[in-house]
Amino acid sequence: MKQPLLSASGLALGYRDATILENVSFALDSGDIFAVVGHNGSGKSTLIKTLLNNLAPLAGTLRWERGKPDTIAYLGQRTEFDSHFPIRVKDLAAMGVWSSLGLLGQVDSDCQRRIDAALERTGIANIANMPLHQLSAGQLQRALFARTMVQDAPLILLDEPFTAVDQNTEAELLTLIDDWAAEGRTVVLVLHDLSAVLQHCNAALLLGRGRSIFGEPKSTLAPSNLIDFGYLSAGQAAWIETMYGSSENNSV
Amino acid sequence: MVRALSATFVLSFSVAPVGAFLVLRRLSLAGEAMAHAIVPGIVIAFVIAGLSVGSMIIGGLTAGIAVAALTSALARRTIIREDASLASLYLIALALGIFILSAAGSAVPLKSFLFGSILGIDDETLLLIGATATITLISFALILRPLITSTIDPVFYESQAQRPGLVTQWCMFLVVLNLLGAFKALGTLMAVGLMILPATAARYWVSTITHYLLLTFVFALASCWLGLIISFYLPNVPSGPAIVIVAGVLFFLSLIFGPLGFHSLRRLTSSRNLDSDSNHPST
Repeated sequence: MKQPLLSASGLALGYRDATILENVSFALDSGDIFAVVGHNGSGKSTLIKTLLNNLAPLAGTLRWERGKPDTIAYLGQRTEFDSHFPIRVKDLAAMGVWSSLGLLGQVDSDCQRRIDAALERTGIANIANMPLHQLSAGQLQRALFARTMVQDAPLILLDEPFTAVDQNTEAELLTLIDDWAAEGRTVVLVLHDLSAVLQHCNAALLLGRGRSIFGEPKSTLAPSNLIDFGYLSAGQAAWIETMYGSSENNSV
Repeated sequence: MVRALSATFVLSFSVAPVGAFLVLRRLSLAGEAMAHAIVPGIVIAFVIAGLSVGSMIIGGLTAGIAVAALTSALARRTIIREDASLASLYLIALALGIFILSAAGSAVPLKSFLFGSILGIDDETLLLIGATATITLISFALILRPLITSTIDPVFYESQAQRPGLVTQWCMFLVVLNLLGAFKALGTLMAVGLMILPATAARYWVSTITHYLLLTFVFALASCWLGLIISFYLPNVPSGPAIVIVAGVLFFLSLIFGPLGFHSLRRLTSSRNLDSDSNHPST
């Protein structure tokens, strides 16, 4: 049974001297997989920061229907990530519980089970003792998904989680995201892979040129909208339309 | 001499984690600059109030905070980047410190001020080192997890923490505190060497943070004791450079023999050539 989690109406986002987005409205329920799509600089990361509460909206309201969750799981882009830090995979995953333990709390057997389960589910239990610097990009992303899973949060924010991974890994991680949604967690997914959005997400927010549109993915991300919001050129949109037009015919 | 050995034993406990995190957070050069930047603070306090531990702490901390604040202000408000403004400020500060010390006709010889001396370690210094180590170790026990998280993944850390800047600032405070603790034994020019070199040397051997902190301590202690003994038997050699040279030897040995030193570089390059779609993380 889906329950409302969050509703945003008339949000203006940005920084004191630069409004990036205006009049953003959407609603999220538990179990939603919510895609955020938009060109570079359209305000996707700004929206994520606002949801994390690191940035206050300039206008409008952000209402948590059942109170703001204690933990919001977050997996950002890896631009500032230090993959040479001397730490093992299982300890990276364990970082997911650290903030809930306070400064001196110990990892109890309950947390340990959560960590082990996450390593197992992301397919990296066999490399749990490997140091970070030996991992491939795909293995590292699996470890970060394990950390996200360990955070055990009702709301999970993923900012372009598949930029560095191959198709296989992406497909596996997407089924993991489906599982999270089935458990009643809400997943916000910043993504450029439109086919993944259409297959896995049940709501989408398209951002671009300072505006936004919210709805179910297929109509929201219609080629005419993608062109209108500056995400695709007309030529690219036509190409995509032939691609998805044909696959759709097959599935019907 | 016994006093010096026990002082550096405690000191090694204290500087090891600080140095380790300076290296991990890519702040080695900032630590170096900070070491020189606090010199005028120490000197002015010394000229005004004599060479007491209290005046040294107040002077050093004031100068350290001033330089750190000025650096970040320059970096934010002007076109000069943080590294350049830090370098400019520490050069000015160091020159100013030496100038004032010489002009005031100091009782402490310049050489032992810059390079340390075993004889400089009196009861007050022992107390200072003990207090520094206590504060440092308690701090690390408390902030180890936030520190690790913010070093590996600052973006993730900011999403979890109430006041993400606090850890960084506390870390810089510990740096200044430990520089002051190490100042008598190693001198202002060499103090930072005991922080950085054992930490860089240990990095070539280990893959977990626990082992890293332990090995950094072992290297720091070995450098101190061997260096002190050398300086004891060669009376003209100040203790600071002797300790740092030993640390330097450990660094080169680690570079050559450590599993993550030259060794692994060769292995990585050859496996990259064999396997072009590289199994190693892109950096």
